[in-house]
Amino acid sequence: MSLKLENITKSFGERKILNQFTLEFKPGSITCLFGPSGCGKTTILNLIGGILTPDEGSVQGFGEEGISCIFQETRILPWKTVLANVVFPLMDKMPESQALETAKKFIRLVGLEKEEMRYPSQLSGGMKQRVSIARAFAFPGKVILMDEAFHSLDNALKYNILDSFLQIWKEDGRTVIFVTHDIGEATRLGQHIVFLNHNPLEIIRSVNTADETADSINKIADVLYVLNK
Amino acid sequence: MPLVANYLMKNSSTRNRIISLIVVLILIIGWELLSRSFNSRQILPGPVDTISSLISIVGKPDFLSSLGITIFRGLVGFLLAFACAILIGIPSGMNPGFEAGFKPILITIRSTPVIAIILLALIWFHVDQVPVFIGFLTMFPILTINITQGIRETDPGLIQMAHLYHIRKKRILTDIYWPSILPFLFSGISTSVGFGWRSVIIGEVLSQPRYGIGSMMQDAHSYLLVSEVIAWTLIAILVGAAFELIIRGVEKRSTVWKR
Repeated sequence: MSLKLENITKSFGERKILNQFTLEFKPGSITCLFGPSGCGKTTILNLIGGILTPDEGSVQGFGEEGISCIFQETRILPWKTVLANVVFPLMDKMPESQALETAKKFIRLVGLEKEEMRYPSQLSGGMKQRVSIARAFAFPGKVILMDEAFHSLDNALKYNILDSFLQIWKEDGRTVIFVTHDIGEATRLGQHIVFLNHNPLEIIRSVNTADETADSINKIADVLYVLNK
Repeated sequence: MPLVANYLMKNSSTRNRIISLIVVLILIIGWELLSRSFNSRQILPGPVDTISSLISIVGKPDFLSSLGITIFRGLVGFLLAFACAILIGIPSGMNPGFEAGFKPILITIRSTPVIAIILLALIWFHVDQVPVFIGFLTMFPILTINITQGIRETDPGLIQMAHLYHIRKKRILTDIYWPSILPFLFSGISTSVGFGWRSVIIGEVLSQPRYGIGSMMQDAHSYLLVSEVIAWTLIAILVGAAFELIIRGVEKRSTVWKR
């Protein structure tokens, strides 16, 4: 099944964010959308997630896939325990016992099995982000969207969490599309990096990280940075 | 003595409680002295007279019926107000058009003097229903406005997350909106019950049903039994305080996640 945005135009009032924008994603791989803040990366995720509909063009292949999300502000429910938060999106999708079992498995995989019964107010920022990672992987879908998910974490913690994300992903193999303006994150996680420029959003370059050296990727990022200065 | 002072400095909540207690004691002693210096204890009874009236009231066979029926009226008024507030407050919070439709009604109810409503209610309703109606009208706008605000302040990020995960509408309501409005709801309940309880009693004073705290106050008043009026007032205050405690207790239990 191909996952594709085709000839999409999207405006908010007078402002045209996307103009005839086309982008295809390789199923089962991690694609990073890299670009300056406010360029419309989040709009792309919202179009994929169905939160927004395009003015023109079409979003193909995502409808039937089941989509999970990891947000920067974690968006876990403060009044539910870790376990109940992970179970929450599963309840309508599978029998209760299976939902509990699945949730517990992924809570274990993100290393929070001791915190299962705790409320978010009793967790650190990194732990909360781990809960939202567990929730995303536990959800029976084929696509995970991430919006600056690790932005608010300090570097050591960020790479630690990125690594556990990658580990779970290797077992799971679903399509990941993530948005960031941190090139370190992009190279650590992304198999494909799509460099974006704004006004309106356009693709500057699209690279496979395996084919490039870290240096050349950093150079593209630098050029993009200078362009947007 | 320095030890005591030291302890009090360290433990400020104990210290504040002691200060409050001392002030209350001074007020009670002042009250007693004032009533002794006044030439008619009938007109200004002291705390001792009031306590003895209180004891005789509590001992009377009618006491429990009066207390119970007033609480019952308040409760019925509250439940009616609560049900209507949920039915109107939740859609108001989600839909500004719906809110705009009800806002003038709520503002009118809130700004109408209770006494005007009572006068009309006396014409329209049976005396037993007047206090319930008054309680309802007092509590309904407060609860509705709080629920509407709670819905509106629900984190849109959580709602968006629920849409992305295709959570059913019913569960968005019970698992996201409802817990979000709880803090607003409890503050609304606490305020509205405070006002509502007093209005129910005002309603009873004026409509004079057979039993009720307000009816008993009015009876005592017409026989110039001032100490009895004050004693019933004390009872009303104590019941109001008990409500507040119960509401706080329920709130604490239903928001354990706040730690």
